[in-house]
Amino acid sequence: MSAAIQASGLGKRYRRTWALRDCTLAVPEGRVVGLVGPNGAGKTTLLRLAAGMLAPTCGTITVLGERPAAGPAQLARVGFVAQDTPVYARMTVSEHLRLGGWLNPGWDNGLAQQRIAKLGLDPKQRAGSLSGGQRAQLALTLALAKRPALLILDEPVASLDPLARREFLRGLMEAVAEHGLSVVLSSHLVADLERVCDYLVVLVASRVRVAGEVSALLASHHRLSGPRRDPGTRHPAGQEVITESHTDKQSNLLVRTNEPILDPAWTVKPVSLEDLVLAYMSRTGDDTPTRQQQLGVVS
Amino acid sequence: MIRLSLLQFRVHAITALAAMAAFAILLAATGPHLASLYAASGISGCQPASCEHLASNFLQQLYAAGTYWVLYLLGVMLILVTPAVIGLFWGAPLIARELETGTSALAWTQSVTRTRWLTVKLTVGGLAAMAVTEGLSLMQAWWAAPIGRAVGHGGGGNYLAMGQFSSLVFATHGIAPLGYAAFGFVLGVTAGALIRRAVPAMAVTLAIFAVIQIATPLWIRPNLFPALRTVVAVTSLGSISLQQGGLDGSDFTLGAEALPGQPGAWLLSSGAVNAAGQPVRTTPAACTTPSVRNGPGFFPCLARHGIREAISYQPASRYWPFQWAETALYLALAVALAGCCFVRLNRRRT
Repeated sequence: MSAAIQASGLGKRYRRTWALRDCTLAVPEGRVVGLVGPNGAGKTTLLRLAAGMLAPTCGTITVLGERPAAGPAQLARVGFVAQDTPVYARMTVSEHLRLGGWLNPGWDNGLAQQRIAKLGLDPKQRAGSLSGGQRAQLALTLALAKRPALLILDEPVASLDPLARREFLRGLMEAVAEHGLSVVLSSHLVADLERVCDYLVVLVASRVRVAGEVSALLASHHRLSGPRRDPGTRHPAGQEVITESHTDKQSNLLVRTNEPILDPAWTVKPVSLEDLVLAYMSRTGDDTPTRQQQLGVVS
Repeated sequence: MIRLSLLQFRVHAITALAAMAAFAILLAATGPHLASLYAASGISGCQPASCEHLASNFLQQLYAAGTYWVLYLLGVMLILVTPAVIGLFWGAPLIARELETGTSALAWTQSVTRTRWLTVKLTVGGLAAMAVTEGLSLMQAWWAAPIGRAVGHGGGGNYLAMGQFSSLVFATHGIAPLGYAAFGFVLGVTAGALIRRAVPAMAVTLAIFAVIQIATPLWIRPNLFPALRTVVAVTSLGSISLQQGGLDGSDFTLGAEALPGQPGAWLLSSGAVNAAGQPVRTTPAACTTPSVRNGPGFFPCLARHGIREAISYQPASRYWPFQWAETALYLALAVALAGCCFVRLNRRRT
């Protein structure tokens, strides 16, 4: 599987603070990839680096095998819808479509016109007077009609109401089905991603906590509950405890394993994607800085 | 990209054309009458002896009429501030507004590199800035031509008597406005690219442009070419300012206001020197008696004691070399600033 986005040791610093630090990840091509993580995890920075809006402070990133924004050809292959879906407030809807046609050799005017008509947008209306949902749809139309091989969307639905959110994601899924493009979509709401993504990357503090196909992730994670076991009790090989919580009488675990759970003391339940993501996001202790600190103590 | 740039430039273009049209109407309404006054003044075809007098009369007549000198100064001021206004309202928001509204993420992720985006934007905006400013300048030059001719004939005595090298006239005529326009525009763009917010960028643009526009006539322009020096007899100076001071009038300073035989020359400095060529401020003892000091015999007395006037100046024939040099200087600054913008946009993506 070739990579839509490949990053290695990628970092971006603003003056003294690192927005993204030592990030290494590979996002597969031909998927709808959900990038999820808490605020401040570096999602926006990563996606803006991938779109060529930012230049890395250190490390490397390639998008579809090339440096982002390396030239007109690379730019043409990547569509980007930024956070808050910016459009030119003073330009009309149809002027935006003309803009797209002028600036993109692969522009699919039929697709653009069709989408605008289907959305019921007035071509003469100024983009500044569109609702948030309409604006997002216009921005998505511009990115889709460019006919990119990869579409990057940074929290495109974060500011939309539930209905507009559903409409936007439905439009996105239709385009994916029709044109077979790769998509990378970030959100801090798992419910949005669950609806559209078949691959998930959980990013916390610049680190990939877990990445994989959604179906495989769901199949390999289980919620176990049973009589209390002291924290730190050994678990069978092949079972990785992601989170555990204990009361006086009961223990609850979230484990990752590809093997069946044999211990009859456990009640085994499937996990929802949201639980899985939250478990990885709340998990601590596998950050590189922490490891380095431990090494420092030893030496 | 050119079409997008023109589309986005529409509002600017309409504003500029409206301003130019208003200025044109104002000048067209008053210009013919100004020209008829000049024709009636008898300056054209005047005898050399009477030219200066007729020219001064003509300027005095315009001054007394009120409207003309107000219009003249208004036009000159408009041409002077246009590059700054363009830098503020066209230049500063060009990149800063894209960053502020986030539309940079739209503009710079189409299939057009930032270099091309900026090249087209700078070219369209820069050429328009130059066209507007030079257009205003040419209109004003047509309107004010009679005044310029009268001044060329040595007319003087009021605000209108500004020679071709005076700060206001030099900067608003010839090709100099082209350089100012390009510089003002690119200065605004650069400030916007570095500061990333339109309003502070506008303030900085205005401050820097004002400082440079003041510094140029004071310190830069006079040194573009080495000044010529000449020493003339004090009695040959038609127009001279004399200040006497000190106890019993023992000190004096002489300032030449025009150079004999060099109409239109730019006087940079002047002062009295003795026979050895050294500056003098002390009146020769023989000339300090009140009757000489306060009478018509003062200058002949100074001359008899070897005192002459040293003048450093730029001859009128250097008007166009000065225009070219200053325009080239401003265009070079504009190109250098444009280079900063390209580097900023491409290398330091933030």
